[in-house]
Amino acid sequence: MRRVGGGFLALIALTLPLWLPSAYHLHVAIMAGIFGVLALSLNLLLGYTGQLSLGHAAFFGIGAYTSALLTLTLEWSFWPALAAAIALAGAAGWFIGRLSLKLRGAYFVLVTISFAGVISLVSVNWIELTNGPLGLPGVPAPELGPWSLRTKTTYYYLVLAAVALSYAVSRRLVGSRIGRAFVALRENEALAESIGVDVTHYLVLAAVVSAAMAGLGGSLYAHYTRFVSPEVFLFSYTVTMVIMVVAGGKGTLAGPLVGAVLFTALPEVLRAATSWQWQMLAYGVLLVLLVVFMPRGIVPHINAAFSRTPRP
Amino acid sequence: MVKRSIVLVALVLAALVVVTLPAQSQAPIKIGVIEPLSGPVAASGSYIRMGAEIARDWINAKGGISGRKVDLLIEDNKSDPKEAASAAEKLIVRDKVPAIMGAWGSSMTLAAMPKLEEYGVPMVVETSSAASITKRGNPWIFRISPPSEMEALGLEQYVDKLGIKRVDFLAVNTDWGRGSITAFGDMLKKKGAAVGVAEFMDQAATDMNAQITKIKATGGDTLFLTTAVEQITLVMKQAQEQRLGRKIVTTGGSSSPTQLIKQAGAAAEGSYHIVFFMPWFPEAMPDGRLAKAFVDEWAKRGHPFEGLTEGFRGHDGIATIAEAIRVAGKDEPAAIRDALWKVSLMGVNGPIKFAKDGPAGKESGQSKPSIFIVQIRDGKVALPDFLAKK
Amino acid sequence: MEQLLQHLVNGLVLGGTYALLGIGLTLIFGLMNVVNFAHGEFYTLGAYAAFAALGWAGVDFFTAVLAAIAAGAALGWLCEVTLLRPLRSESIDTTMLVMIGVWIAMQNGELLVWGGVAKSIPHPFPTAPLVLGPVAIAPLRLFVLLIAAGLIAASWLLIQKTKLGRAMRATFQDRDTAALMGVGIGRIHAATFAFGSALAAAAGALLGPVFLAYPSMGDLASLKAFSVVILGGLGNLPGATLGGLLLGVAEELGAGYISSGYRDAVGFVIIILVLLFRPAGLFARQERIA
Repeated sequence: MRRVGGGFLALIALTLPLWLPSAYHLHVAIMAGIFGVLALSLNLLLGYTGQLSLGHAAFFGIGAYTSALLTLTLEWSFWPALAAAIALAGAAGWFIGRLSLKLRGAYFVLVTISFAGVISLVSVNWIELTNGPLGLPGVPAPELGPWSLRTKTTYYYLVLAAVALSYAVSRRLVGSRIGRAFVALRENEALAESIGVDVTHYLVLAAVVSAAMAGLGGSLYAHYTRFVSPEVFLFSYTVTMVIMVVAGGKGTLAGPLVGAVLFTALPEVLRAATSWQWQMLAYGVLLVLLVVFMPRGIVPHINAAFSRTPRP
Repeated sequence: MVKRSIVLVALVLAALVVVTLPAQSQAPIKIGVIEPLSGPVAASGSYIRMGAEIARDWINAKGGISGRKVDLLIEDNKSDPKEAASAAEKLIVRDKVPAIMGAWGSSMTLAAMPKLEEYGVPMVVETSSAASITKRGNPWIFRISPPSEMEALGLEQYVDKLGIKRVDFLAVNTDWGRGSITAFGDMLKKKGAAVGVAEFMDQAATDMNAQITKIKATGGDTLFLTTAVEQITLVMKQAQEQRLGRKIVTTGGSSSPTQLIKQAGAAAEGSYHIVFFMPWFPEAMPDGRLAKAFVDEWAKRGHPFEGLTEGFRGHDGIATIAEAIRVAGKDEPAAIRDALWKVSLMGVNGPIKFAKDGPAGKESGQSKPSIFIVQIRDGKVALPDFLAKK
Repeated sequence: MEQLLQHLVNGLVLGGTYALLGIGLTLIFGLMNVVNFAHGEFYTLGAYAAFAALGWAGVDFFTAVLAAIAAGAALGWLCEVTLLRPLRSESIDTTMLVMIGVWIAMQNGELLVWGGVAKSIPHPFPTAPLVLGPVAIAPLRLFVLLIAAGLIAASWLLIQKTKLGRAMRATFQDRDTAALMGVGIGRIHAATFAFGSALAAAAGALLGPVFLAYPSMGDLASLKAFSVVILGGLGNLPGATLGGLLLGVAEELGAGYISSGYRDAVGFVIIILVLLFRPAGLFARQERIA
């Protein structure tokens, strides 16, 4: 049953460009995919180790800037630039993981916010490197051998592959010994430590993988919008990721993806449904209502509802 | 677990598709507008929307364009480049607008530009000042606002009369602020003025005392200030509290002297402002009758007077697009683009006519807007002495 | 030297405002374990409430500040009772998410009601600065600094000397034990949230006239308040006060002597350093890793 469901989902995802009514919808699907990667990345830290990173836009932005700068100034092609973006974001994750290995909860939150704040200010002020607030326009579209992935449909499949990869990595990690160590950390750190889980090691590992994944999302974003500016470090990007993970259902593999699709589509649905004055107000109110009625997130709530039905 | 979420994803996608199915009416001519309507510069974006609505209503009152009404489709870019790109995508693909006006800030405009090229839809840029916008070789861009360099050249003739010898700069830390410092710095150096410090402030900052204290120590005579009107108000109040005692010149045309008089009071006294519209004396504008009519209509709608220095951009942008559609004789993007090169009209700011700018073969259009300087004297907006005497 | 003195005065004045923002949040964060992203919106609410009271009801400035405090307390109480109370058994991420929703809704509601144009709030103080030798300070800012000090002292007395304060401290130290000892956790939480929100609204009403009132003014306020809370340690009022002053002076000197473009980075770097070397806050008596 599970396998049939997975196949069905894959079929929908693979054929999406065929039955979506317009390029605009495909654009929304691509953005949802990029945010899906980001949400999966944040979920590794928040959902599985219980550490909330509110500086995740920093890893995203580092990925975007690395990829954009390498392709623009050094004229690297897309693939090595993508690898470098993943590596550099991962390195930043390692740095933050090492830096804050003693910190938990609110304090970890603040270190990550501050880190993102500093990086964002560097992107604005280090003009020679980043072109400052004017940003980097004209980031090239990726190429695969002789083909340019310039069209929306090809880019959609590239993003879809990235989502699948991120999902597979998350799943692999969570299902392994490492994943069980993560969860042990989240549930009871002292206990985990007492039975021999190397807490520091696993936290740093989670931070590195999570940041590298965010870097992947950043690179995909840069080559899709073809423009990178310091706004990629905006706190609102982090907030969007948090909304997707927590509202979708943290600590589940499907939750962040559901959240990413829902909260990428919602602003666009509101664009169509109501005039601009009401859009963000409605967004906030809907978010509050969602938390009040499904405090654990959409996916866990639906799971609970389904498992209750057979046993009335 | 996976299975249930599939159902959910499918439902969400279905809802998205249903809700956003393209609208089917074809009768009116649609023009897209992308402005920051929420976020830190929401006020400016709203004024431009009001100006654009006046232009639309005037055109429609005269029977529209070749008998077809004009309809504005207004989108909020939330001061975020990602949203600007999404809004452009939505307007072009879903709403099928043949032309757009936008997107206020330079980074928003730059983010929307690849979409214009991808789909081949022209955009009239009404506010953005970064030089690079028209230099990038995007043939779908037509700008009616002055880049900072053009603005600086517009001031050049007055430098001696203003008695500028030693200048300092305080600017918002964005492309606009940094671009202004470079452009005005170069122009002033050429005129033999000494340039002191260049200080920056975050877009959301409210306390600029540190920067003012530092500027005070340089002993200059003039401070060039580039930011939105809210921050100008705060800088002026704080400069007064610290007895800075400088001639202040604001650049960029977003200073709204009327609002400064209201909110900064005596702290704004004596300051000079570069503006692109003078609603206080519309008769002094290139087309006095049009300017007067715009000011009257603005007042009739109950819009705040202080928004006029920003709101005229909305009118001129829409008027330009409408004229291009009339010249083209149809509302098709490529035809409108070709027609934009031929338009010559009178806006509230003055004559609008596009010259080629940027790499050969892929030029963008750049109009040469009129640039004015006014002074706040005795709690009123006046022409500076050296202009009033003429 | 003159410049340095002026920078220090500026920094203290700015730091006083940060402290006022921080003390409300440190109570909410420390006592209730709620990452309250809407704190800055109560600050905005205070500024607009004062503006409305002055403009519509025609009251004087001091009554307007009281009206703002009442509005902040009332909405804070409402928020706790309707949104946070039902979610009390949920994780910190869930309550944070609901407050993110409140933040977005309140900010855009303010935009809808008041429009995006900044409002200037009138005040009865002269605008000419008080000049003391080489330094200048505006009378209004001095007044704000004094009131802030008064509010901080009053809050401290409330926590230390009253029965409610004792119950609050007990809840902070050990919620379950406090509940067993007969402390009504629900009431304490509602009171704390209302009190913290009232302090934010007071800050908005006092700082509105210094700066301007506009819908997005709360974002920066929230960020600074969080910084102050961490510098001072969770739930630590004197710590938040000192943390606020320290942050104000550090930013001022950073902007004055290093680079104004990196002004806010100074605060961030201090936070990172403090967390690395004194993870429980600069002024904690004992180490406390939550």
